[in-house]
Amino acid sequence: MADGAASERPLSPHLQIWRFTVTLAASITHRISGAVLYGGLLLMALWLIGLAFNPALFATASAIIHSAPGFILIVGFVWSLLFHLMNGLRHLYWDYGRGFALKTATMTAWLVYIAATLATALIIWAGYGGGA
Amino acid sequence: MSKKGTSSFILQRASAVVLAPLSIWFLFAIVSALTADYATARAWLAAPWNAALVGGFFIIGALHMRIGMAEIIVDYIHSWLKDVLLFINWLAALGLIAAAAWSIYIISFVG
Ligand code: HEM
Ligand code: HEM
Repeated sequence: MADGAASERPLSPHLQIWRFTVTLAASITHRISGAVLYGGLLLMALWLIGLAFNPALFATASAIIHSAPGFILIVGFVWSLLFHLMNGLRHLYWDYGRGFALKTATMTAWLVYIAATLATALIIWAGYGGGA
Repeated sequence: MSKKGTSSFILQRASAVVLAPLSIWFLFAIVSALTADYATARAWLAAPWNAALVGGFFIIGALHMRIGMAEIIVDYIHSWLKDVLLFINWLAALGLIAAAAWSIYIISFVG
């Protein structure tokens, strides 16, 4: 990709040279979840179009959503949105100039992983009839 | 260029602040979505508040995700492909806004 001469911008540091830390993991997960949400929003636009113009398309979406892969898709989207949302608040707090202390950043990173997972379980349970 | 970078930075943060409460509401919408049929879903989206919030989520989400994805593209792609991907990224965001606005308009006003 980078053919040396053409790229004046520095590349991101290589991922292999890092030691695992939960703050680093959260940073990578923020990026991945952002990309997942990108795809998710585009899929949901298809759902909206089906709802407005094409009941057959909607029926297909319904079939997908009630299949096993559809279930994984929904869980993945919900978890990504919750993680990205909570970790995004961490980012905004940093932009405000707070929360950088290593201990604080490590703790909030763990917190985001745990809270996103618990909230996903709760939402999926309620969504599939557990609460109704 | 640096001027454009700054406004992207601010728009990225401002859209994140608006998306945060919208996303929480949106998750509740998804929960009820999982067990509804076509007629129920259409009636739900025809309610003005739901239409406005879904529309807001998609439009502000499109602005936010376009800036975020542009940042990812610029970080990893350094060849001619970069401009192609940035262009597709623009089209995807515009398409998302158009699809959401048009669908909601049809459901709300045309039926
Ligand atoms: C824009 C995002 C979405 C919103 C706001 C939304 C909202 C809704 C709502 C409000 C209902 C009716 C719920 C009720 O009143 O009980 C519904 C039904 C439904 N939604 Fe969604 N939904 C979205 C995305 C999706 C996606 C991405 C899929 C699948 C690919 C999907 C599949 C369905 C299905 C299949 C139904 C009917 C369920 C059934 O027939 O069993 N929705 N949706
Ligand atoms: C609607 C769904 C959303 C999509 C598709 C989305 C997508 C993205 C993408 C692709 C990025 C770039 C990631 C990177 O550069 O590594 C990003 C960054 C960001 N997102 Fe979102 N996002 C969404 C919702 C939210 C919400 C609800 C918040 C609320 C706090 C948020 C806060 C942020 C922040 C603060 C950044 C910048 C992170 C940084 O400084 O690098 N996002 N988003």
